[in-house]
Formats: sequence, structure tokens, C-alpha cells
Amino acid sequence: MLLNEPHPLESRVLTRRYVYPQKDAIGIDQYVSQQGYDGIRKALEMTPEAIIDEVKKSSLRGRGGAGFPTGMKWSFVDRKSPKPKYIVVNADEGEPGTCKDRVIMEHEPHRLIEGCLIAGRSINSNRGWIYIRGEYRKYIDIMDRAIADAYARGFLGDNVLGSGWTFHLSTHTGAGSYECGEESALLESLEGKRGNPRLKPPFPATSGAFQCPTIVNNVETYSAVPDIILNGGDWYAGLGTPRNGGTRLVCLSGHLNRPGVYEVPLGMNMLTIINEIGGGVWKGRKLKAVIPGGSSSPILRAEECDIPADYDSLAKAGSMLGSGATVVLDETADIVKVLSRLMAFYAHESCGWCIPCREGTAWLKKILARLDEGVGTKNDIDMVDQLATSMFGRTFCALGDAAAMPAMSYVRKFRDEFEAKLNSTQVFVPAPQTQPLVVL
Amino acid sequence: MGIENLWESMPKINEILSGAAAIAKGMTVTIKEMMNPVITDDYPDAPPVFQERYRGLHVLQRDENGLEKCVACFLCSAACPVQCIYIEAADNTDQLRISGGERYASVYNIDYSRCIFCGYCVEACPTDAITHGHGFELASFNTSTLIYRKEKLLAPLPEGTTGALKLDHPVAVGDAGH
Amino acid sequence: MADPITLTIDGKQVNVPAGTLVIEAAKQVGIEIPAFCYYEGFSLQAACRMCLVEVEKMPKLQPSCTLPAAEGMVIHTESPKVVDARKGMLEFLLTNHPLDCPVCDKGGECELQDMTFRYGAGESRFVEIKHHVDEKQWSPAVYYDAARCILCYRCIRVCDEGLGVGALGLTYRGVGAEITPSHGDHLECDECGWCIDVCPVGALTSGTYRYKSRPWEMNYAGTICTHCGDGCKTTLSVRNGEVIRANNRDRSGINDEFLCVKGRFGFDFVHSPERLQSPLMRRNGKLEPVSWSEAIGLVSDKFLEVAARGGSFGVIGSTRATNEESYFLQKFARQGLETNNIDHHRSGDVATLLDALSGKTKALATVNDLYTAKAALVVGADLAQQHPLLAYQLRANWRHHQSSTYVVSEGPVREDQYAAKSVRAAAGAELAALEGLREDLKKHGDLVILFGASVKGDAVRSLVAFGDSLGIPVTYVCLVDYSNSRGAMDMGVLPDLAPGYKAVDKPGMNIDEMLTSPTLDVLWVVGANPLEHTQLKNEKAFVVVQELFLTETAQRADVVFPAASAYEKSGTVTNVCGEVQRLKAGPKVMGAKPDLEIMGLLAKQMGLNLGIWTPDKVFEEIRRSVRGYNVALPVIATGGAAPTMPVNGRIPVSPRPDLIRPSGDTLFTSGTLGRYSRMLNKVMEAPGQLYKP
Repeated sequence: MLLNEPHPLESRVLTRRYVYPQKDAIGIDQYVSQQGYDGIRKALEMTPEAIIDEVKKSSLRGRGGAGFPTGMKWSFVDRKSPKPKYIVVNADEGEPGTCKDRVIMEHEPHRLIEGCLIAGRSINSNRGWIYIRGEYRKYIDIMDRAIADAYARGFLGDNVLGSGWTFHLSTHTGAGSYECGEESALLESLEGKRGNPRLKPPFPATSGAFQCPTIVNNVETYSAVPDIILNGGDWYAGLGTPRNGGTRLVCLSGHLNRPGVYEVPLGMNMLTIINEIGGGVWKGRKLKAVIPGGSSSPILRAEECDIPADYDSLAKAGSMLGSGATVVLDETADIVKVLSRLMAFYAHESCGWCIPCREGTAWLKKILARLDEGVGTKNDIDMVDQLATSMFGRTFCALGDAAAMPAMSYVRKFRDEFEAKLNSTQVFVPAPQTQPLVVL
Repeated sequence: MGIENLWESMPKINEILSGAAAIAKGMTVTIKEMMNPVITDDYPDAPPVFQERYRGLHVLQRDENGLEKCVACFLCSAACPVQCIYIEAADNTDQLRISGGERYASVYNIDYSRCIFCGYCVEACPTDAITHGHGFELASFNTSTLIYRKEKLLAPLPEGTTGALKLDHPVAVGDAGH
Repeated sequence: MADPITLTIDGKQVNVPAGTLVIEAAKQVGIEIPAFCYYEGFSLQAACRMCLVEVEKMPKLQPSCTLPAAEGMVIHTESPKVVDARKGMLEFLLTNHPLDCPVCDKGGECELQDMTFRYGAGESRFVEIKHHVDEKQWSPAVYYDAARCILCYRCIRVCDEGLGVGALGLTYRGVGAEITPSHGDHLECDECGWCIDVCPVGALTSGTYRYKSRPWEMNYAGTICTHCGDGCKTTLSVRNGEVIRANNRDRSGINDEFLCVKGRFGFDFVHSPERLQSPLMRRNGKLEPVSWSEAIGLVSDKFLEVAARGGSFGVIGSTRATNEESYFLQKFARQGLETNNIDHHRSGDVATLLDALSGKTKALATVNDLYTAKAALVVGADLAQQHPLLAYQLRANWRHHQSSTYVVSEGPVREDQYAAKSVRAAAGAELAALEGLREDLKKHGDLVILFGASVKGDAVRSLVAFGDSLGIPVTYVCLVDYSNSRGAMDMGVLPDLAPGYKAVDKPGMNIDEMLTSPTLDVLWVVGANPLEHTQLKNEKAFVVVQELFLTETAQRADVVFPAASAYEKSGTVTNVCGEVQRLKAGPKVMGAKPDLEIMGLLAKQMGLNLGIWTPDKVFEEIRRSVRGYNVALPVIATGGAAPTMPVNGRIPVSPRPDLIRPSGDTLFTSGTLGRYSRMLNKVMEAPGQLYKP
């Protein structure tokens, strides 16, 4: 188990039961003895409206990337609908740099189960799934084990804690696609189809899994709910800044002395996170840039990093908090290579549904590979920007934007590096053309 | 008569001299041209010489392997203002390959009783398969002989090639860059 | 109906019902918004992003194919932002699209070509190596070139939603994504080829049309498919007198774009090498080619001779000949040969149905009614196999209007997929099973009952009685098998009924009696194959056959006339629902003559006065004299379908259920014609089986 040493600046709410080093997941006995499942006990005595109000008060926002207010999302579900209502956990953690959901499932699976129960209670649902990416084989096993334990203790099943309310939960294995982290593609995949995103509207809250009202949230979002119910929404909101309630897990990676997953209140200064919690840039080098919210978020230059890390401040700085994966690049990092590698990832993961994303990512990948090899031209740099611009906002789902945003920001903010990579002595030579353009 | 005659003949000598001068003057152009190189063709005793861009009888070109360049796209016949080109297309197979593309012209006729040698077909051709050659001896007593078939229009095979590829076993063609 | 709303598109005010898509609203004011993946009548994709438009007060460009129009919306379809986006999409599309237009079958009618021409992106900045995938052959009829595919998913949708076959899907992802048959490397489907038609580019190409021609090289003849009774309009593409393609892209006719494998690929019997191209005459026991005048002369002499000595004639008409030919044939028989010994291969009890419906109006359903009815009941038929158009209409009705379909059949059928209720009952015992559906059927606003050949004779009357007892408006379709089975009956190619179901004084011999009569002197068969499974009783009978091929009947003949197929002649045919449509001659086959002309020449040679034998003149006579056929000429002349008015009165019918013999043709068989179609025999699904979906 790899949870890193805790840092004094962390405010540990979600991770408060974790110990370091921890060998196994927190078992059901330990969990119950430490206030575990008290949240659902309390929730069972509350009305669904009260639960949703409490979540709304906490100003909890979705931790998956888009940051949509959770309480609002839950309130969109028509609880009186004659159709069954479903709870879906998005544990298809695929964003490069993100590794927080895995830490939660690895250490404290019962917290997620409890979160699902409370969410289920709030919309009168009787069925939930945890959609875990196939590569997380180990955590699927941990979750399965925990679910079995919860069934044995009566937390799940036909009569949850003797209340007469039924709630069933099971895991569902993804087949390895980044696209299935998008909620509607995830639902398609859950239904056994190809993981293509769906047309929106209708949103999952009205027509989700199997055409029924569905809540889809991230693992971390659900995991924050038990404490909110237990301690009240106001308490949780007070942990962060206004409209950005609570704490969140930050996945620090890159050129740092102490990379790892840390829990910090929302609104902590970015530089504090990097320099204090992350132990500063490694090998005594200088900071060059930060990718603040997973690979899809626009990059920040070192001088732009002195801002609070919350949803609104980052949006103001032209980036986004995303999934909280903070990747730190030191002065030796090759921005062109980073973008080239990123684009190869997006081209590989594009589902192929819509034209701009399918063709755009593949084209950008080829141009960037050329630029990275030093055989690009000045035109190519402009073209990366132009192509990304013509992709942005025109794709079917957010994957196209996720690929376009870094491309635009990297080229605009580090144009000097792109130009430096051009071979200045080289006369323009078109890319090697082994195949004629006109294939007859 | 003697002297008298001589005196009488004097003006005649002048005449002769001036005549000779006139002839010499007249001949200068001729003689000068005799020195210049000949520009008249000795056709039909010798083959005529054409400008490079002369638009004569069409030639259907072959590629370096001897395969036909024509892929039967019908663009020449579409471009033709007098509709003198008739084409039937057929499929290249793995066993029998006639052209470099996916299909070839199984029939390619040009009706020279209609052709006006405008060159639009050559301009329209996407594969540079049809070109104007320098052939011009078209005259015939029978117009039906003026319909030239593909066999007559095709360029000769480049040395060392056999034209159509006949293979006993299929070979994947054009999967470069897979 | 939803309340009308007003929106503004490019400065023009549009009034549309709420919920109309913006792309459709734009169409109403003549503004074309380009799109690849949007296809009317099928599910929405929003995948091609070509139809993005600018909507005021919305930050992003919106796909107009999924955007419902709202009150007060202001939309710009030609703003710089939109134009730039379109150009961008086309540039993206063309990156991996091979620029092999000169050898691509679609060149000249390609939507991508048109859009590139119209919306720019003529020059590409793409200099990398294109993603290439080799072409694949999925079936004899369908080829797929993945490199050309732009993934608009039209093919997947028409197959899955339109036909309920679902033979296509999507595999791989990103730039390598491609359409793949659900059986991996080959198609096992209806082989209808609709996917080829709807493909906006040349990714799906047809096995018959492939590399043969270019769209501007062909002449087009919109005619009616000659294979089954549904009467689909099929537009033949003809080059040098040869049909090389059949489709219906202009959506004319009752079938919209729909055609089955027979309509799209089954035309190749026309140019079968086995077509007869010269009259044949039996000499020394062998059939030898002779001239037309010789053959006509011999038959005329023989007819006159037999008529003079009072011998007996037997005339067997065709289920594929035009109305004009059937009418002229019965006139020839009744007036010229003075006999009522005329019959044809019957495949449905239309006469009993019309008699049972006497006194009712609007009791016969049209093909379009199947799309608008609230409910349909299919009795004793495998609709998807035997009447693909009717099956398509019912499915479209279910998809678009949530109509209910009930099935009573002897085995599983494709309609079970969406049927409200399916009941299995042995052939002939279907009516007993209907009682169980009575309560369900009563609930609906109206009902169409389609019944197959197992419901005949008194069973038809019982069925109509059952329909009457439901207390809701009920319309009927009597399913018949061939392209003009209905017309042959209407035209009186029957021993007991003259045109318009009028009684004859003295009924003649029916088809069975003719074949088994020991004294029959002359058997004249026009476009039928009665001797396929049986022998002619009188071995000395003189047999005259008008046929396309040397069938079993033609082999027995003394004189064979080479007849033209339905695609080579003009005239009218009546489909299974009683709608009259016009044939238009397309290809030409040397040596063959239309049956009408052959009969006319024969009449002339015999000195009979049967009137002018051009299709137009004969049809005029039909309109004048046949009950129900006084249809509006302009409708037919412009390629429309005119429903014939049902005979409204008792018909002196003497039901002979034993003579009604369904052909049992599946989707891949088509009587005699199907035997000579290469494509219909080449596909792996052929010959297929009824009640085995």
C-alpha cells in the first residue's frame, strides 16, 4: 500500500481513518467501530429532501472534473418517477495524473459504500453499481470483498439496517477506455454497449442507465457524503472557501520531492501545495509549469501559480481544477514532448464518434510528433493552435475539448520552446511522403 | 553592215547587261535562301517534324511497369465536347492486373470522325493516362475504321515489361502505410 | 399537435410546431444546413458536426440536427463562425479520406464531394501519411472501403432501425474506427443493400454496380419492381441498354428509399445469358430458332384451324404481365378464341375478400395506411420475408408512431421483435387464435388486417366478420405473391370472372382442368410456368409459350415467343394493396418483344379486331370498362400510385380455395425470375426459409 506520509498542512477528513503505513483496507469491524455507517443510520431517519438539503448546504461539488454542484444534481432526479432509480459510481479513473479514487477504494471501501447508500436513500433508489476500470483489478477485488461484508452485516440487501428499504450494490468492470469516464459513455458501457457518449439532453438524472433516472458521481464525491450527513453541511462548507466547500484529494505527481495523494481544503494556495506538501521541486531545480487538474486542463506557467487551488480561482486563471491531478514540471521538462505524448494519448482514446475529435486528435498527434522530432516547421506550430481551436467546443463530448485545451495553452504559453525545437538550419522539407496523396 | 551593225547593236548590249544585273539582283533572295537550312518537310518521302505540343492522335500511356495508367474514371469522356470517347470499366483482380488502380478500361474507343483534337480529355485526365501523340494520318475511305480501339491507342510496352500482371496467387496491392 | 412557435433563421421568420428540429425548420424556408449523419426518419447522432449553427445567447455552436426549435430563437447558418466551423470539419474529414474520386463509384454523386465543392476546404494542410485500411468484401453484394468511410452511422441505423436486421456495428476506436458486420468478416442479413444507397461517400459499394459506370453516364428509368406484389418503385440506371444499378434515391414512389435484395440486385435476370432472343419452333422434336413472321404465321394458322373445327383452347395468363397485357389476353381469349378457358396462378383470395366487403367503403388499406394506422394484425404470413415493404412500413409506423402490431403465424417471424402480441397457430387454424386477441385489438383506434394465402374461401368471410365485430374501423390487405397477381384478377384472367369481377355466362376450365383435360387442343401460356412440377395430360396439345427463359413449360412448347421482362416495357401494374403504378421501359434486350405486342401481332395475323394494342390505348379501355380502374391519369403519369376503387357490390364468386397456391417465395427467391438472377443465387442467405428469422 502506497499512501504517502501525511503532511501537517493537510486537513484530513476523508482520509482521517487512514494510518501510515497501512497494509490492508480498513475492514468492516474497524470501520463500524469508528463511526462507520453512522451516516446512513442518520440518513435513514431523515427525509430525502433533508438529505439533499444537507448536501446542498455543504456546497460539495463533483470531484470528477466538471465540478457540478452535487446537491443540485441529486435534486434533479424525479423521486416519484414510477421507473426504478439508479446510483452509479464513476470509478473509471482514467485521466493521466489522477490516482485518488484508487486510494479511497484501496483504504476505505466502506466509506464509498456508505456514500452510495446515502445517495440511494436520497432518491429512493434500490440499485447501484460501481463502475471500476478494468485495470484496477486489485481494487475491484477489495470492493467486492467490502460489498460482501456489508451484505453480511445487513448494510446492503433487502432490508437495510432493518428499515425495510432495499438497496443492492455491485461492481462493474470497465473494458479499458478513457472515454468511459464520461458519464453517458460509462452508462452505455454499463448497459453492455460500446462506450460511446450519448446525446444530451436528456441528462442521466432524467434518463440514465437503462433509460431510468440515474445519479452518476465520482468515488470521491460519494465518499465525502457520510461526513456531511454526520456533521452537517455547514461544517463541511466551512472547510473550504465560499461555493467551494470541503476538502479534496490532490494527486501530486511530476518533478517533486514528495509526490503522492494529499487531502487539502479547497482554496489552499497552489504554491503552498507544491512547495510545502509536495516538498518542492526535486533536485533543487526551478518550477517551470504546473498542470493543475489532470492532463485535460490548460497548463499554468510558474509565475501564474500563486493562486488558490479552487474551482473558481483556477477558472479565472484560464485553467480548471478538474480531477485534482496536479502535475509539476521542472525547468528541464520538454513541453513539446509532454504535449506530443499527451496528444498520442488522446488520439488513442478518442472513441471515433464525432469528426473533429477523431480526425483532429490523430492529425495533431502526427504534427506534434514531427515537432518533437525536430522536423517541424513554423507553420506547424500555428497549425497546432488553429486545429485545436477548430476542435474546441465543436465536439460531441468533452474529450475533444480535453485534447484541444492543453494543445492551445501549451502552444500559446510556451511558443518559444516550440520554436527552439525547430531546426533553424533546416530548409522546408515536407514530411516524408512514402505514400502518394492520391492513392489510385 | 559591219560597223553600222555594231553601233546599232550597242543599246542591246546595255540591255543585256542591265538584264543580267536585274537577274542577279533577283536571284540574290533565292541564292541567299539556298544557303539557309531547309524548313519544308519532305513529307511523304520523309517523316514530318512536329512541335512538342502538337495535338495529334491520342496515346494511352503506360506506367514504368508496363501497366496501363488509365483507371477508367470517365472524366475524359465527360470532358469531351463531341462525346467521341466511349469507355467500359472493369475490375482489376488479384490474378489479373491491367492498370495500376483499382479498375481499368476494358473498352476504350475514340471516334476520330468526331474528335476535334481540343485536348480537353488530356486536361481532364487525373492520371495522365491519355495524351496527345503526333500521329495524324487518319484519312480513310470508310468512317467505321475511324473508331480507334484501346489496342490501337495504347503506348508500346516499355522494355523489359510484360504489361498485364497475371498472378497465380493473390498479392496484396497498395497496403503501404498500414 | 404541439403549439406552433416562431423562430428566426438567417433573418427569415419560421413557424413550426414546438419540438421541430432546427435543421428541419430551416428546410421549410429553403435554407439548407449541410449534414452527413442526420438522416430523416432515423435516430439522431450529432456525430458529423457539419450542421453546427450559431444560436444567439448560446456560447457554443449548436448541432442543428439535435436542437429543438424554441420560441424566439435567433439562428445564423452562414455567420463567419459557422462557415469557419464547416470548413474545419471538412478539412478534418478529408485528412484521412483517400482522394481517389476518379476511381470511386460515388464520384459525381458523392455528398462529401458536393460539400467540399460548396463549402470550401479545397486545399488541405494535411501532409502526413493517411490512415489506410484495405478494402473488404462483406458479401457478393456489399463491399466496404474503410478508408473512405466518414462514420456517419447511416448504414448502421437503416439496418438496425429500418429493417430490424442489425447486421452492422462499429469496431475499433479513434481514427481506426470502422463499420463491421456483426458476423465479423461477412454479412448475414437481408442483403438489401440499403446501406450502400445511404452511404454519403463511396465507402460501401455495390457488387453489381462496382466500377461499371459513373452516374452521369447513365439514363434513369423509374419503374416498378417486378419481383413481389408490394410494388416498390425502383429506378433503373441504364447504360447502353443494360441495367447496371437499381435504387430509389429520389424517394419517389410508395416505398420511399426502401428496396429489398430483389429490387436492388435482382434485376440481373434481364441480362441473363439464358434469355430467349428469338422465336423457337419445334421441328423434328427439337426447338429451333425461327423468324418472327414464321412463328406468328404458324401459331395463327393453328389457332384458326382449331377454332374452325371447334377445338378447345386453354389460356394461362401471367402474374407478372402488365394490366394491359392481362386485359388484352382475356379479350383475345373471350372475343378472339371465344373461350372462357382462361386462368392464372392464383396466390390469394382477393375475389372473396372483395365480395365479403361489399357495401363497405374505404375497407382496403394502401401501403401508406400501414404507416399511419394505429394497429396492424398480420395473419398467416412471414411479412419480412414475403412482403418486405409492408414489413418495413409496419416497423416504421411502430418506430415513429408507436403503433401496435399483432402477429398470428405458424412460426417465428421478424415482426415478433416489436409485436404487441405474437401468437403461433398452424396454417389454416389462424382464425381460431384470433379470439384471444379480440380484447387487445378493440382498444385501438383503427386496424389494418393483412392476411396470407392460408386464409382463403370461407375463412376470408369469417375474418371480415371478426373485423366487423371489433367495432373499430378495419381495413384489409389480401397478400398476393407476384408483381401483378392482383392485376391479373382485376383484369379477369379467371374462368368465371370477367374484368372488374363481372360474372361470365358460362365459366370455362380452370388451370387444373386445362392441364388435366385429355381433349385440350391448344394451350397458350403467357408468362407462366404451369408445367414446372406437372405434365400436360394431352400429349398432342399444341403449346404456345411467351416467356423470357426456356422454362419447363417452354421446353414442352411447340412455339416459344421471346418475351420482354417488366423492365423492358411500359404499362401499368397493380400491387398487393390495389394501387396502380406505371412501368417505364429502361433496358433493351435484342429480339424480345413485350407480350402485348406479341398478342397484337398474333391478332392481326389472325384477322381479329381487338383494338389498338399500345399500352396507353389499352389502359384507356381498362379505365373505361373495368370497375374500379377509373383512376386519375395524372397521378399515374407522374409516377404516383393510384388506389383502385374496390368493387362495391356482391361478386358472383365460386370460391376455389384449392386453386390458391402460395408460391412460398422468401426474400431471396422469386419464382422463375429468381432462378435466373445471379445475385439472388450468389448471396449466402439464399434461398432462405419462411418462419425462420
